[in-house]
Amino acid sequence: MKRQIPMMIVLILGLLFVAHVFIPSKLSADYLDWFMKWTKVIGPFAIVLGVFSLVLVHYNKIKRKAPNWGYSIVTLAALVITTAVGFIWGIQEGTPYMWIFKNFNVPLGATMFSLLAFYIASAAYKAFRARSIEATVLLVAAIIVMLGRVSIGQAITHWIPDITEWILNVPNLAAKRGIALGVGLGMTATSLKIMLGIERSYLGGKD
Amino acid sequence: MKFSESMQKLDRRYIYIVLAIAVILPLVFPIGFKTYSTTPVEDLYRHIDAIAGRDDMAIIMDFTHDPGVMPELYPMDLAILRHCFERNIKVFTISFLPQGAAIIQLALSEVKEDYPDIEANIDYCNFGFKPWGLKLPIMLGMGDDIAKAVETNSEGLKLENLPIMQDIKNYDNIQVVVEISGSSMGQFWVTYARAKFGVDVAVGLTAVMAADVYPLLQTGQFIGSLGGLKGAAEYEQLVDIFAMNGQEFSKKKARNMKWVEQAYKNIPEKARLYKYNKARIGMDAQAIVHVLIILFIILGNIGYFLEQREQKKKYMK
Amino acid sequence: MTETIGIWIAAFLTLCMFSFLYKDNPFYKFAEHLFVGVSMGYYIPYTFYNAFLPYAYEPLFLRKDYILIIPFIIGILYWFRFSSKFSWISRYPIAFSMGMVGMGVPMSMHATVLVQMRTMMLPLNNINIILIFIGTISILLYFFFSKAHEGVYGKFTSIGIWFMMVGFGASFGYTVMARISLLIGRIQFLLGDWLGFIK
Repeated sequence: MKRQIPMMIVLILGLLFVAHVFIPSKLSADYLDWFMKWTKVIGPFAIVLGVFSLVLVHYNKIKRKAPNWGYSIVTLAALVITTAVGFIWGIQEGTPYMWIFKNFNVPLGATMFSLLAFYIASAAYKAFRARSIEATVLLVAAIIVMLGRVSIGQAITHWIPDITEWILNVPNLAAKRGIALGVGLGMTATSLKIMLGIERSYLGGKD
Repeated sequence: MKFSESMQKLDRRYIYIVLAIAVILPLVFPIGFKTYSTTPVEDLYRHIDAIAGRDDMAIIMDFTHDPGVMPELYPMDLAILRHCFERNIKVFTISFLPQGAAIIQLALSEVKEDYPDIEANIDYCNFGFKPWGLKLPIMLGMGDDIAKAVETNSEGLKLENLPIMQDIKNYDNIQVVVEISGSSMGQFWVTYARAKFGVDVAVGLTAVMAADVYPLLQTGQFIGSLGGLKGAAEYEQLVDIFAMNGQEFSKKKARNMKWVEQAYKNIPEKARLYKYNKARIGMDAQAIVHVLIILFIILGNIGYFLEQREQKKKYMK
Repeated sequence: MTETIGIWIAAFLTLCMFSFLYKDNPFYKFAEHLFVGVSMGYYIPYTFYNAFLPYAYEPLFLRKDYILIIPFIIGILYWFRFSSKFSWISRYPIAFSMGMVGMGVPMSMHATVLVQMRTMMLPLNNINIILIFIGTISILLYFFFSKAHEGVYGKFTSIGIWFMMVGFGASFGYTVMARISLLIGRIQFLLGDWLGFIK
């Protein structure tokens, strides 16, 4: 009841989907229609999970007065205020909701990731070492691509962008294809494992 | 402390300051490096441009990206939208991330300012946000009937009643789906929408992922790609020199830098707006910083080898 | 006026984030927590207006398609995830949405394996295609661990390493580009939108 029935649901729906792909018919089209209609009703409810998890984590931090609990108040207040603004004034362009997005969310998100530029510059100086021939090949390829993607490379010689294109279109392509084939087979195997009930971690819980 | 040792132990904050200066200076004093275009970007431009003025064809832009990668991807958003509005190409926008839906609204409002004749639900339609869990049902559903799969636009209006949908039914009327994201979302479009319905897919990606798509470009599963700020800069340039000048795309012209410079002289004033040139202006700083990073790598390695040599000497003694 | 206030707030928050480069500090922590809260604040209203109303509420309550009460209830079962005693009930909606993996089996096999293999087996009529072919095969064999990498076989698989190193180098070069682009975007905001040095 707790595990077996959900696993049976996955297996039956999964097999029907396999049939849908291989046997095009009105019945299989109707099945997809039905599934889509129902999934569209079910889907929106899942969003609450993420939001509620966040609320729970920060609520507990505040309740336990854990270290830095004051910042949890900032998170919860920001969540409540942003959500309330969305419901009160709507979510269209020109509303306070979009003003918050433009002036809070965009600078915070973009700047957080831009910090990585400093770390990669520091790593370039302190960590990227040509310790072996393989590492040297990696660094040389990286340097050519870095030069070839900007106009300085073109200004030095047109060979640099040309070699960059060749690196991307030949050895890089072969490397990425080799890895992608492995990933593709892995994805197919994982899907099969889920369908057959071998992989169950998505169900969560112990019992 | 010996020179080699001090090189190795340099405080990272000095590196940060040098980097910041290398970014700031070219932005304040632009050098004006020219961008050369590459095949994946040209292919996407040509593919989209091929449906200029047609009512029975459109493109879908999927903005599944958040503000974290906006500096790289937002110039692409603006450039493609500007191309569509300038060349009278119908465009649908959708996002499977809520922040992506907000980015759509920002991008549309920013480009619409310069195209007052372009009307929502006639020339373009924003499908808005759809939950991540619904991406496959919607992707697959659009193969049969876009209006039925998506149902409503971002304002809650039924798609089937909108003028833009009159001649558009399913993927047969979609020239290309352009996935602009910092994730492997483009792969979903290829795996499901392209494999099942044959719709063409292209991607606008953060540079981190740009090298990974080459196998899919060779197979034709992606008909084009824009990689990072460089890809955005190339697309900005193609829009300026062709669309803004009312010219048909020509690969030969796009790669002739003298022709490109000449074409820039004739572009209308609105094409010179800062917002439409952000990626190309950024590429000046990008070029300088790439050289700086290469210098960092070389200096770091010199310090490393000097230190290794000294350690070897000590050991020999 | 609101535009100006917005730009000043955005600039202040940008600087709060950058302050982390010196060291961790309360300004950074404040900005970081604010970011998490504001970001999540976009989930519920967007889902409500763009998904719940058109897909669940309207068909069920306005168009009176009563059969949809079943998926509506299944959707509500998600919320049992937070009950320690009844969290297993939430597995039903999860299982329903996982049903689509059945489609993933043939589709991902087709798109990510078969199409890639077919292109790899193109007529080997030019040097680049031959190189791609050799590179891909040697990488695949490199990851095949059921045979010891010795002798001629070992030498052939080691070719795969060289291809991968060039591929990783290309990715690394692009990664540097990506990170720098993000910083350029923020500096463009500070110098252009805020301080007005770039027009």
